[in-house]
Amino acid sequence: MFRPFGGDVNPSLSLTHAYGPVFMIVGFSLFVACAMFALATLMGPKVKPEDRGEFKDTPYESGSPSSGAQHVKLSVKFYLTAILFVVFDIEAIFLYPWGVLFQRLGWVGLAEMLVFLSVLTVCLVYCWKKGALEWQS
Amino acid sequence: MTLQLGHYLALSMVLFTIGSVGFLVRRNALISLMSIELMLNAVNLTLVAANRWQPAMTEGGSGLVGGTPAVAVGSIAPHGQVFAFFVIAVAAAEAAVGLAIVLSFYRLRKTVRTDAADMLRG
Amino acid sequence: MLLLSPILVLAVGGLIVMLIDAFQEQEGGLAMPTALLHFVAAAAALALWQRGVPSDAGSLVHGWLAIDKTTLFLQATIALGGAFASLLAGGYLAEHKLDRGEYYPLIAFSTAGAGLLVAANDMLMVFVALETMSLGVYAMTGFRRTSARSAEAALKYFLLGSFAAALLLMGAALLYTVTGHTDFPGIAAALQAPSPASGAAADDANAAVLAAQFAIKLKISIFAMLLVLVAMAFKVGAVPFHMWTPDAYEGAPTSTTAYMSVVVKAAAFGALLRVFLTVFGDAANASISGGWPAVLSVLAVLTMSVGNLVALTQTSVKRMLAYSSVAHAGYLLLGVVAAPHATAGIAAKSSVLFYLLGYTVSNAGAMGALILAGRRGAETVSYDDLAGYARRHPAAGFALTLFLLSLTGVPPTVGFFGKFYIIRATLDAGYTNLAIIALINSAVSAYYYLGVLVKMYMREPAPGATRAAPMKSFYVVFSLIVAGVLVVWMGLMPERWLSLAAEASGARPAAAAPAEGANNGGAPTPL
Repeated sequence: MFRPFGGDVNPSLSLTHAYGPVFMIVGFSLFVACAMFALATLMGPKVKPEDRGEFKDTPYESGSPSSGAQHVKLSVKFYLTAILFVVFDIEAIFLYPWGVLFQRLGWVGLAEMLVFLSVLTVCLVYCWKKGALEWQS
Repeated sequence: MTLQLGHYLALSMVLFTIGSVGFLVRRNALISLMSIELMLNAVNLTLVAANRWQPAMTEGGSGLVGGTPAVAVGSIAPHGQVFAFFVIAVAAAEAAVGLAIVLSFYRLRKTVRTDAADMLRG
Repeated sequence: MLLLSPILVLAVGGLIVMLIDAFQEQEGGLAMPTALLHFVAAAAALALWQRGVPSDAGSLVHGWLAIDKTTLFLQATIALGGAFASLLAGGYLAEHKLDRGEYYPLIAFSTAGAGLLVAANDMLMVFVALETMSLGVYAMTGFRRTSARSAEAALKYFLLGSFAAALLLMGAALLYTVTGHTDFPGIAAALQAPSPASGAAADDANAAVLAAQFAIKLKISIFAMLLVLVAMAFKVGAVPFHMWTPDAYEGAPTSTTAYMSVVVKAAAFGALLRVFLTVFGDAANASISGGWPAVLSVLAVLTMSVGNLVALTQTSVKRMLAYSSVAHAGYLLLGVVAAPHATAGIAAKSSVLFYLLGYTVSNAGAMGALILAGRRGAETVSYDDLAGYARRHPAAGFALTLFLLSLTGVPPTVGFFGKFYIIRATLDAGYTNLAIIALINSAVSAYYYLGVLVKMYMREPAPGATRAAPMKSFYVVFSLIVAGVLVVWMGLMPERWLSLAAEASGARPAAAAPAEGANNGGAPTPL
C-alpha cells in the first residue's frame, strides 16, 4: 500500500471508507450527465445545419423565451446592502457556538452575548441613522 | 492510504502559496483581495486540522507522520476552531473595508488595476 | 475589569461618539470629546500604574490578555498619540472641508485596538487587535473621498496590510499546529527542548525518537517565526517591507499620517517586543549569534540606511517625514535587537519605550506644525512651499523647528536622548558595528531635517508662488503647545522619564533585574 505519510490504517479514516459515498455520487453524476448527452445524440433526429430553426441555438430557459441582455449592470445600491449583509451575517457565527454551549455558559455567557449583540445593535442604529438602509435616495 | 495531518498541511500550504503568489503577481485589486481570502482559508484549514490532531501532535508523538485524530469531538480544547471562527469574522470585516476602498479608487480612476496606482512616487 | 479600563474607555467611548455623530443635527464638534476620551484612557493607564499591577495581571481574561507595566506605559503613549491625532484632525479636517463625523469613532476604535495589541498575550488576540487597529486606519487613510491620491494610498496600505495579516495568521496557525497553544507562555513552554530527565523518555531509543520529533517541530516553528517576523516588519515599516509607508503617509490626510506614524508604530513595536521576547525568547531562537536578533539586525541596518538615503532626495516635506519615520523604525529595531541580551536587555527595552514616547510627541508635533502651515486649498507639502515661512510667522516657524530638531536628535530635545539611550544599549549589548552605523545615519539625517530650516529661515518664496501662512485652529495650537512642552521637558529631565521606562521594562530599582520574569508561567488558556 502506498503510504507517503506513513501511519497506521485506521479503518474509520481510510480513504475508501471516508470518501466512498462521495466518490459514488461523483461517479453517478458524471454517468448521468454523459448518458443524457449520449442518448440525445444517438436517438434524437438528425438535423442539417441549414434546417435548424430559430429556437435550436437559443439557451433553454424552462420553455419560456429568454429576455434581457446577458450582462446586467447592477446598481451600486446593491453594493452597500450586500456589504452590510455580509458583515452582520458573519458576526452571527459567534451565536452558534454560544448556542451549543448555552447551558454550560449560563448567565455569564448570556450577559456576554447580550453585550456583543448590543454593540451590533448600536452599529445597526448607526447605519440606519446615516441612511445606509435607505433604498430610495 | 489514510489521511494524516501532513496531507492537510500540504494542501493548506499549496493553497497559501497559490494565494501569496497570486497576490504578488496579479495586478488587479479584486484578484488581490481574492488571493488574500485564499490565504486566510488556507490558515483556517490548518487551524481546524491541527485542532483535530492536537493530541497526536503534542503528546509526545508527531501527528505529522502518523497518529490518529481525536476520537470524540469535545475531548480536546477547540482553540483552533475558535481561532478559525475569528479569522472568518475578521476576514468579512476586512473584505467590507477593502471593497469600499477598491470602489472609491474605481470611482476616481475608472480602473481597479493596481499598476494604475502610480500617482504617489519618489 | 478595572485593569482593562484604558481599552474599555476607548471602545465604549467610541461607540458613544458614533451615536452622537449619528444623532446630532450638524456635523463637527467631535474632536474635543474624542481627544478627552484619549486623555481619560491615558489617565486610567497612569492610575493603574500608580496603583501597582497585581501579580495575576500577567494572565487576564483566561490568559488572553496580560497587563504589566510595559503594557500600561505603551497604552499611555498610544492614548497620548491618539489624543494628538484627534486634536489635529479637529483642525485639519475642518480647514479642508473634510469634517465628517465618522473620523472620530474610527480614531477611538483604532486606538482601542492598539491598546489591545500591546496587552495581547495570545496569537488570536494579536490578530484581532491588529485588525481592529488597522481597519480603522485604512478607512482614515482613504478619508478624502474626492482625492485619487488618498484612495490610492488607502488601496496600497490596505492590500499590503492585509497580506501581512495573512502571513501573521499562517505563522500563528503553524505555531498552534506544533505546540497546541495559541497563548504566548504556552507556545514558549512547548518550544523548550524536552529535558532528558523527563520520566516518559526513560529508554534511549524513545528519547532519540522524541528528539527527532522535536527537531521537526522546531523547524516548522522557525518557519512560523519567519512569517510572524515578516508580518511585524510590514507593520512597523521596516525595509524591505516598507513600500507602503511613503505612499500611505503622503496620500493620507495629514492627521491620519500623524496617527499612523505614532500610534500604529508604537503599538506594532509593543507587539513585536512582546511576541519575540516571550514566545521566541528562549535560547534556540534568540541566541545572540543566530536566531531572530541576527535577522532583525540586518533589517535594522537596511531600514535606517534606506530610510535616510531616500529621505535625502525628497522634495515633499510630508514624504520626507514618511521616509524619516522609516529611518526611526530602524533605530527602534536596534533596541529590539539588543533586548534579549542577558545584562543589557532591560536597558535596551526601556530605551525602546523611551524612544517611542519621545517619537510620539516629536512626530505628532512635526505633523501638527505642518498642518498648521497649510490653509484651505494651499496645503503645505513641498520644501519650496515653506520658503521664508519662519521669517514671516516666527512662532509657527519655531514650532516646526523645535520638532524637526527633536527628530534630528539635537539636545536639549527628547530626540537626542532617545537616540543616545538606544545607541548606548546597543553598545552595551556588544553590537558596536550597529551603533556606529546608527551614528552615521543620524548624521546623514541632519541634512534633510536642517534643509527644511534653511528653507524656512533663509530663503524667499519664488515670485508669484503661494506664501504659506498658518491657519487658525485652537485644536492644532493646543496640541502643538502640549507636544512642545513635553519635547523640552523630556529633553531637560531625561533621567526621570527613562527611569519610568526602566520600571516599565521590569527593572527593579537598585537591584539586579531578572530578565523578563513577569510573563512566564501563565496557565494554558482555558476557554
